[in-house]
Amino acid sequence: AGVLAAHKITASSPDTDLPTVSGLRGSAVCSQPLQKMGVNFTVSNKDTVKSSDVLFLAVKPPIIPFILEEVGPDIEARHIVVSCAAGVTISSIEKKLSTFCPTPKVIRCMTNTPVIVREGATVYATGTHADVEDGKLLEQLMASVGFCTEVEEDLIDAVTGLSGSGPAYAFTALDALADGGVKMGLPRRLAVRLGAQALLGAAKMLLESEQHPGQLKDNVCSPGGATIHALHFLESGGFRSLLINAVEASCIRTRELQHLADQEKISPAAIKKTLLDKVKLESPSLSVASASKVSLFTSRSTSSKKN
Amino acid sequence: GKVPAGSILASAPSDKNLDAWRESGCRTTHCNLEVLQESTLVFLATKPHILPGVLQEIRPAVGPHHIVVSLAAGVTLQTLQRLLPAGTKVLRLMPNLPCVVQAGAMVFARGSGAGDGEAALLKNLLSSCGLCEEVPESYINIHTGLSGSGVAYVYLFAEALAEGAVKMGMPGGLASRIAAQTLLGAAKMMLETGEHPAKLRGDVCTPGGTTIHALHQLEKGALRATIMNAVEVATNRACNVAED
Repeated sequence: AGVLAAHKITASSPDTDLPTVSGLRGSAVCSQPLQKMGVNFTVSNKDTVKSSDVLFLAVKPPIIPFILEEVGPDIEARHIVVSCAAGVTISSIEKKLSTFCPTPKVIRCMTNTPVIVREGATVYATGTHADVEDGKLLEQLMASVGFCTEVEEDLIDAVTGLSGSGPAYAFTALDALADGGVKMGLPRRLAVRLGAQALLGAAKMLLESEQHPGQLKDNVCSPGGATIHALHFLESGGFRSLLINAVEASCIRTRELQHLADQEKISPAAIKKTLLDKVKLESPSLSVASASKVSLFTSRSTSSKKN
Repeated sequence: GKVPAGSILASAPSDKNLDAWRESGCRTTHCNLEVLQESTLVFLATKPHILPGVLQEIRPAVGPHHIVVSLAAGVTLQTLQRLLPAGTKVLRLMPNLPCVVQAGAMVFARGSGAGDGEAALLKNLLSSCGLCEEVPESYINIHTGLSGSGVAYVYLFAEALAEGAVKMGMPGGLASRIAAQTLLGAAKMMLETGEHPAKLRGDVCTPGGTTIHALHQLEKGALRATIMNAVEVATNRACNVAED
């Protein structure tokens, strides 16, 4: 998104066969290979740590402990460790890193997939040793790909339920809306396009308006008209409660996963065997596996900032 | 209190209904025609099936100076105008029960013979009983479903609120009074702030608090749709009754 010069970004992953990695390195599939973007690529997590100040850990939650073990020795006071792993607490990361570094700077963030189109929703919570400027730096970086704000850590699970999972709810809704359109005679592609634009437009109206969504809804409903008839159907189906349920379920599950992680119930067996083997080959001194998918800033061109 | 009691004349076949009027200081009679002779503004408050007969009876005495306001549910302006002399100033009014405590919701529609003056007069007089708005005739059945019958929905809601409180250990009488006051207070806030109810609802919901948990229960029960169904059914019923 242009906030950071590409050559200052290093992405690392031991497993170069992962689709996310090969896509970014340049394959027939992806048109924006990493090298074209000017981002450095390495298979060594340790090299990444040495050459960087801000580290984004963009791995699945069960892998976090292993990553921290691997890079821990190279963490210095200057490093800001940013974890995007759902359900992994700041204190658990600080605990793991404190065996290597007395005052590790940790920031926990929760973002969502639309960062890809620079319309992400990101929140972050700062750890014990992270300064205000560290948080602001992260905020500046993430604000280039969408909305970003600081929150208390205990709200992050709720954020996961709402905007973390939120795009999935929207995709489901859009699929169904398109079905409705097709049922009533629209070609599929057009139905998808119009459905997506309707949600996009509505969201934009809400964000740009002072008005309550209830009021905006009313504004669309002419008396006895088409929309109010349709809304009645939604209410009859308990539409609102379904959405509340969804956010709640996602939030609760996040907490469950966090709880499981705290108890370190996830075993190395949960990690793919191939990854384990690969890492063992490269770092014989380590007994644990680590894998980090390529992270961050996979936005389009480095030229212009987010408009 | 806009009209002195002495200026009001009420007519009914038997004394049964007239005592209340006399107690307020109004004059009473058993003769409908006398009302027409003595009064300019005449309210017809009979049961719908009785009304045609009454209209036939008073028709000879109705003149161009009279303003006739019908409260009979389902009797259209068209019917009223057909049964009265041509050009009579006719209006149709639909109140609701809380008019008796000056907190009513009333709508009225004017017939072809009634002008701005008559509408303004009626609105002015009735505003002392609550909210009074002029509407197109087609809204009157909707008003029945919303507010005429709506009062009963509110009683049901209040009863349920109180029962919930009783279940949780509060005495019934107290629970009932608090339930009523809650409804009154919420309604007052809506009317006085003019804010959208969705916003007012949000204002009460502290994050993760009691209210949002409770609202979730209401949404799970599809309460909104059920209420919409009720209004729809009552409105349709009012239309059907009108046709009969």
